[in-house]
Amino acid sequence: MADKIEGVKKLFTSKSARVETNRGDAYYAKLFEKCQARIDELKTQQPINNRLDIGDVLETQGIERRDFLKWASAVTGMLMLPASFTPLVADAALLMNRAPVIWLELSDCAGNSEALLRSDGPKIDEIVLDIISLEFHETLQAASGHQAEKQLEDAMETFKDKYLLFVEGAIPMGNNGTFGTIGASGETMHDHLVRVAKHAAAVVAVGSCATFGGVPAAAPNPTGAVGVMDVIKGKPLINIPACPANPANMVGVIIHYILTGQVPELDSLLRPKFAFGYRIHDNCERRAHFDAGEFVEEWGDEGAKNNFCLYKVGCKGPMTFNNCSIVRYNEGVNWPVGVGRGCIGCSEPDFWDKYAYERPMADANIKAPTGGVEKTVDEFGLGLLTAAGIGIGIHAAASLVAGKKEEAGE
Amino acid sequence: MKPGYKQVKRMTAFMRLNHWVVAFSMIGAVLTGLYIGHPYYQSMIAEPAVVKYVMAWNRWIHFMIAIIFDVSSIVIAYLYFFSRFEKPYKKILPTGQNIKEFFEVLLNLITLNRRKNFDSTHSDSFNTVFFLMFHLLLAWLLLTGLQLYVHGLASGESSIGAWWPWMLHLATDWTVPVSTWMVGTTSPTPSIMDVRTVHHMTMWIVLAWVAFHIYYQVWRTIFWKEGDIGIVVSGTKFVKEEA
Ligand code: HEM
Ligand code: SF4
Repeated sequence: MADKIEGVKKLFTSKSARVETNRGDAYYAKLFEKCQARIDELKTQQPINNRLDIGDVLETQGIERRDFLKWASAVTGMLMLPASFTPLVADAALLMNRAPVIWLELSDCAGNSEALLRSDGPKIDEIVLDIISLEFHETLQAASGHQAEKQLEDAMETFKDKYLLFVEGAIPMGNNGTFGTIGASGETMHDHLVRVAKHAAAVVAVGSCATFGGVPAAAPNPTGAVGVMDVIKGKPLINIPACPANPANMVGVIIHYILTGQVPELDSLLRPKFAFGYRIHDNCERRAHFDAGEFVEEWGDEGAKNNFCLYKVGCKGPMTFNNCSIVRYNEGVNWPVGVGRGCIGCSEPDFWDKYAYERPMADANIKAPTGGVEKTVDEFGLGLLTAAGIGIGIHAAASLVAGKKEEAGE
Repeated sequence: MKPGYKQVKRMTAFMRLNHWVVAFSMIGAVLTGLYIGHPYYQSMIAEPAVVKYVMAWNRWIHFMIAIIFDVSSIVIAYLYFFSRFEKPYKKILPTGQNIKEFFEVLLNLITLNRRKNFDSTHSDSFNTVFFLMFHLLLAWLLLTGLQLYVHGLASGESSIGAWWPWMLHLATDWTVPVSTWMVGTTSPTPSIMDVRTVHHMTMWIVLAWVAFHIYYQVWRTIFWKEGDIGIVVSGTKFVKEEA
């Protein structure tokens, strides 16, 4: 019942992806002052634990200040702020180590952590994420067991009500949550999350598992996996889905937070609009081929060589909201559709069952949640039509016979 | 006219016009909808992309038809209550008389016309409920279709202003959880892909409806011998004069 009420509430609170980007000079002047004051205040604070200086790191990585400023102006644009905010954004990036972050890993593949770590030669996005004051990250840190738990306690105590909680991975709810336990005390992932979230300033769910349950929640969802927003209520919560989440969007959210002290504008799935207010398909370089009806029919065919649209080999760009067709990955190097591999809708709920197949939806088997018969919509529909046809045929034949009898009787 | 028969009016000129607009639009919507779902032909292969625009035209036709359906549906919904000819809502209300008539007509169909205890001069309850089913299916196609359509207006702007996507969200966002409920899921959050699945599926239900509709009209014409099939052309049929 409760989830039904929740569902009804959701019906009437759905919002479009629209962000008002022209609020007038007065609004932006005021916002600028507010952000400036916040940055000035943060500057007076000491960096927390992470003593890395971003200037030094950028230099050792051979990134010039000019490139850094170019990056800052791109982030300013991404956050839909006027260009005059660029210096503030650059400052905010330099002050990333003033924001304490606790990172929890639950039921997942660590892909989002990997996305941050394994980039060939870190780009500015990744470097900036190196600078955040990561107070706790079980996968990355040296401490483990009781030691790790102690460290978590310390971090939670020291930064009570101030830390940003990043969560990666779904929460297994089945069997009282015992499908996933963490730490020496065997705390369930659910209890662990609830405990750490209690004194977080805001919770950021990264990756599709943490946001919508993702792959662990795919049929038949044996562990009863759900996303963070299904567990944590009454906290500012930001979803950054995708598999993995784009580091650019994580940076955007943190910078927005440092700059304004607030969470960015969110859509009805709690995704920041600056990142998820775009449909892949509407910003795709292959779109002209879609409109022309020029499709890759099979991998490696003539169409593939000519960069035709990937719709018929399963691209789900038309049903997917994310900014990868704009910001791409690894600082604009490339993205799935760019390499000739259709979008699998990884930033949408239930993407594993409903998006990630290499044919259009119309040709895909619909998976019944309980397993069972798998049919395409057209097979199912033709079945329905055949049944209707048989019914009609029987009725027609019977009517004919009955009619003949009547005539004979007359 | 056969002697002993009288001519009765069953459909106004507007109703007939609407019927044929809907019928041809439906054929167009199905052909273009199926192309959108799975592009099943290729044309003008040698032409450059700017010239051919095959998918774009299919989508354009699909959406233009959708707008025709929208307008038609709004008018029909109005006529349900305010028609000066016959107000269909009166035949849908579950009154004793309507229920009785509904089952009498159903029995007529099942007993292969052995039993016919109702007045066939008017549109009967069974007929009206059957058409209501169609109108509900069409409304559902419209609502899910408009939900799919508003995804393309992600910026929140449109050529006719921001009110349009805003209104579409307000009017159709509820189809997402409902569609997910219909398709079924193991994930806690409704997915917009289900709207597409359900939109496509509803088309097949409508086609099954159409198949039965055509059969039933022909069947009535043959067995009732009252020229029912002519209603949709001339607006009238013939019934035996009470002797
Ligand atoms: C207001 C009415 C309608 C609107 C606004 C509408 C809109 C749409 C849209 C936006 C799509 C997806 C196109 C794309 O992704 O580019 C679509 C697909 C489709 N429509 Fe409609 N439609 C409407 C009515 C109908 C009707 C009456 C039918 C047929 C009975 C129909 C059958 C289909 C089919 C089969 C698809 C393909 C679904 C798939 O496999 O992906 N639509 N429609
Ligand atoms: S490749 Fe995908 S996103 Fe790009 S135009 Fe084709 S269907 Fe749309």
